[in-house]
Amino acid sequence: MAIENTGKKLVLLLAVAVPLLLPLLVSNNYYLHVINLAGIYTLIAIGLNLLSGYTGQVSMGQAGFFALGTYVAGLLAINLGIPFWAASLAAIAACALCGAAIAIPAMRLSGPYLVLATVGFGEIIRLILLNWTPVTRGAAGLTAIPLPKFFGWQCSSEAQFYYLIFSFVLLGTYVAYRLAHSKVGRTFAAIREDELAAEAMGVRVNRYKSAAFVLSAIYAGMAGALYGAFSGVASPDNFTFDDSVAFLCMSVIGGSRTIVGALIGSFMLTGMSEALRALQTYRLILYGGILIFTVIYMPQGLAGLAATVRARLRRTAGRSAAASTGGEGKA
Amino acid sequence: MSQGKGWGAPVVALLIVCGLSAALAGCSQDAGKKVIRIGVVGPESGTAAQLGQGQHKAVQMAVDEVNAKKAAGDWQVEAYFEDDEGNPTKSANAVNKLIQQSKVHLVIGAINSSATLADMVVTGRAGIPQITAGSTGASITQQGNKWIFRTAANDEFQANALVRHAKEVLGLKKVATFTAADDYGQSGAKLLAAAAEKQGLQLVASPTYNNGDKDFKPQLLTIKAGGAQGIFLWGLYTEAALISKQARQLAINAQLFGASGMAAQKLIELGGEAAQGLVLTQTFLPESANPVVKDFVAKYKGKYQESPIPHAAQAYDTVYVIADALKRANSTAPDALREALAKTGGLKLVTGEPKFNLQGDDIGKYLLITAIKGDKFELLKTVTGN
Amino acid sequence: MQYLLNGLPIGAIYALVALSYSLIYTASGVLNWSQGDMVMLGAYLGFAFFHFLHFGFTLALLGAMLLVGAIGILVQLCILRPLRKRQAPPINVVIATLGVAIVTRNLALAIWGPEAQIFPSPVSSAPLAIGALSVTRQDLLIVAVAILLMIVLHYLLRKTRKGKALRAVAQDRYAAVLMGVDTEKSDALAFAASAALGAAAGILVAPVFFVTFNMGAGIGLKGFVAAVIGGLGNIPAAIAGGFFLGIVESVAGGQISSGYRDAITFALLILVLWLRPSGLFLRKVRQRV
Repeated sequence: MAIENTGKKLVLLLAVAVPLLLPLLVSNNYYLHVINLAGIYTLIAIGLNLLSGYTGQVSMGQAGFFALGTYVAGLLAINLGIPFWAASLAAIAACALCGAAIAIPAMRLSGPYLVLATVGFGEIIRLILLNWTPVTRGAAGLTAIPLPKFFGWQCSSEAQFYYLIFSFVLLGTYVAYRLAHSKVGRTFAAIREDELAAEAMGVRVNRYKSAAFVLSAIYAGMAGALYGAFSGVASPDNFTFDDSVAFLCMSVIGGSRTIVGALIGSFMLTGMSEALRALQTYRLILYGGILIFTVIYMPQGLAGLAATVRARLRRTAGRSAAASTGGEGKA
Repeated sequence: MSQGKGWGAPVVALLIVCGLSAALAGCSQDAGKKVIRIGVVGPESGTAAQLGQGQHKAVQMAVDEVNAKKAAGDWQVEAYFEDDEGNPTKSANAVNKLIQQSKVHLVIGAINSSATLADMVVTGRAGIPQITAGSTGASITQQGNKWIFRTAANDEFQANALVRHAKEVLGLKKVATFTAADDYGQSGAKLLAAAAEKQGLQLVASPTYNNGDKDFKPQLLTIKAGGAQGIFLWGLYTEAALISKQARQLAINAQLFGASGMAAQKLIELGGEAAQGLVLTQTFLPESANPVVKDFVAKYKGKYQESPIPHAAQAYDTVYVIADALKRANSTAPDALREALAKTGGLKLVTGEPKFNLQGDDIGKYLLITAIKGDKFELLKTVTGN
Repeated sequence: MQYLLNGLPIGAIYALVALSYSLIYTASGVLNWSQGDMVMLGAYLGFAFFHFLHFGFTLALLGAMLLVGAIGILVQLCILRPLRKRQAPPINVVIATLGVAIVTRNLALAIWGPEAQIFPSPVSSAPLAIGALSVTRQDLLIVAVAILLMIVLHYLLRKTRKGKALRAVAQDRYAAVLMGVDTEKSDALAFAASAALGAAAGILVAPVFFVTFNMGAGIGLKGFVAAVIGGLGNIPAAIAGGFFLGIVESVAGGQISSGYRDAITFALLILVLWLRPSGLFLRKVRQRV
């Protein structure tokens, strides 16, 4: 028993220490840049997991909230010189408001209707960003988004961005984790499993669904604010329907039921996107194929697969342990 | 729900991969050889693939020639290519990769304006020169970025020339613009409107369309209702061809105009009857009598069995501009290269006689006013200087 | 008025696609995200038939419909059936069809390249004047063939055994099973039929729009919007929705704003979803829980 606990503690320690020390070990800016990007996408994926994995709803419009976050934070910073932390808060607030506005009509919908509503939202945002030229600078987009500054510490290098993004991912993970393991989280799961039953049990289903939607919007908005400062530029063709699809893929392939799934999904897809760039069109065909395969044969995603494997290992270990201790007389 | 446990394995794996590659990439680079490494970024897949591939081929050809002819003195040129799919985020990643992994000294890229802007953030932070041989968006040279140069056609110049042609040669009074809703199109719309106002033409309508749109009839009907005698298109050739066809289907007989963004043989092929007589400005005609152009076209055709597109010609010239700057600077230090590029002059290349202004725009480009006749572009007039 | 006329051929295309969505949705509750790419496949295959085998227009049309229909059955067998067997949640089914869409689109890109291809029209595209309005023979052809296909489908659904079986499954799946209907076969048939209809839409629209690898995406999405606006799950409603959307887009694009045209479409969609989710052309139906 004691060994097991120490083992768990060691893994946990590694899990936190290794990411902390990463920039010291990886000095290649290109890799750090890709890792940072994946980290930003992880935030979006966590939000999506809360939405689809926990409450069973689909959103194919996350790019819209991502865009909103980037533009709100970016425009405030460029035009009014508002510091990063305040601009991010504004971005989150804007996304929360929009999320709530969408959630009101959308939560009454299910299945294809909800999907379509989110797609519509994503497209409307992109078209507004494209056409409302006096405010959003139209197709040229935002340039020279200022780097974040915290009490005199300027965040400019890849390594510094790494720590910034890592902190947010940690925060996001923590919040999601606490949520999932709370009464709220169990209610989410209940809604996912059987909405009608949950309603019968007195759960205000629509309220919870809306809350989940707003939450996913907030995650995407924060990711957006980070992205703006990180890349320095933003334009409407960063936030297309294809991007919404990519985020959904990260959530599904990684595993929409767990938070780890979000991490796996976004790192895998972002990494593959870079590593396989040489394959161009074939890469996308491969993606489509992986998507189909995952959804049919690994519906819980890679995280689910890992969990199944671990569970099976533990079972065989348990059985062999019982056998080796001679058993209790039961053959 | 164990969230802590899952972390360890994937991150450690990632770490090992990163560590190994970083170690491998770090070792061995040239020692004392005079080599300049150029990174080339463009859309080699996706909807603009033809442009990126043309750029790739032309740069490859130019680099081989420069090395053979020693056009850069005793410097050797190496080119490294990355595909950015026309996506700004991927483009920035590509440039990052070129700088970190291939250790390039300067970057040619990108073609899509939004991608070029994203790249400029990376090259700006790294402090190396960047030349775009394909982006025409005005905002690129208005950022106050000292590292960016542009050897692509100048939009303002083209817009002015087109409007002047409409007024002086064709005697039109009422015109409309129909432009793409992307950076290229929006910049064009602004420039055309300014030119029309300056030259006293009445702008009756200025609708826009999204790239990938197929149905342009609603906007065309609005233009027809306004009584436009000339329609200025500003976008890529697929949409331009469709617009021409649909305009004729609506019995609109106004004169159509276009710019270098749609200058490709495919425009004639797709537009067919409807595109006959379309007037457009471009920097390069394969059939030109200019000996420099003829030489280039012959070599390109010989090597790749196809006619070069304007983007290819511009990219080809860019390599020579770099070679010339390198010879004068005799160093790959960023500042030295930048200084040398800024002082470019006295070259007679395929698409013009390059000379950069303070913002980095090439003001020595040839401007050809052409019209579609039969299955070719017919040269009407050449305009040089600004 | 011209805007109205202009919206008809587009509306006919949207109607065909909306019909396809409705057909599959009523039959098996599946949202087929790759419907638009069936349209694209139809156009490319028709182009290939025409270019390499020198088929005439009608032959190319039928050939493409058959081939794409077969592909539809393949997709249904290999992907949708296993999903149904494993009782996958609907989101996974949507994502699977999304995967099909991605693969199809990029396969087309890999095979035929990014360049647009011309598809010659069997009739001229010169404008005919009707008073102050103008319409082309091509427009008329599109509307005529589309309506013809819808009539054929109607006949097949009402009068043939397979068609009745399909309707039975759509109405009540379990009852149909009890009655001895082979639901697997009828699912496959529904998929094949909608794929074929999509292919037809593709060939009809190809002369007007050129054939490109991403032509399906926009049409697919708009067709879906049309189906929902009209009333998902009902075929006449879907058709009405298609024509309605075509006309609205034409008028909005011309009169209101060209840049925001698509935004207006989606805003309309969200409005309909909010106020009348069962669709504009359907009697109020209790929301399927």
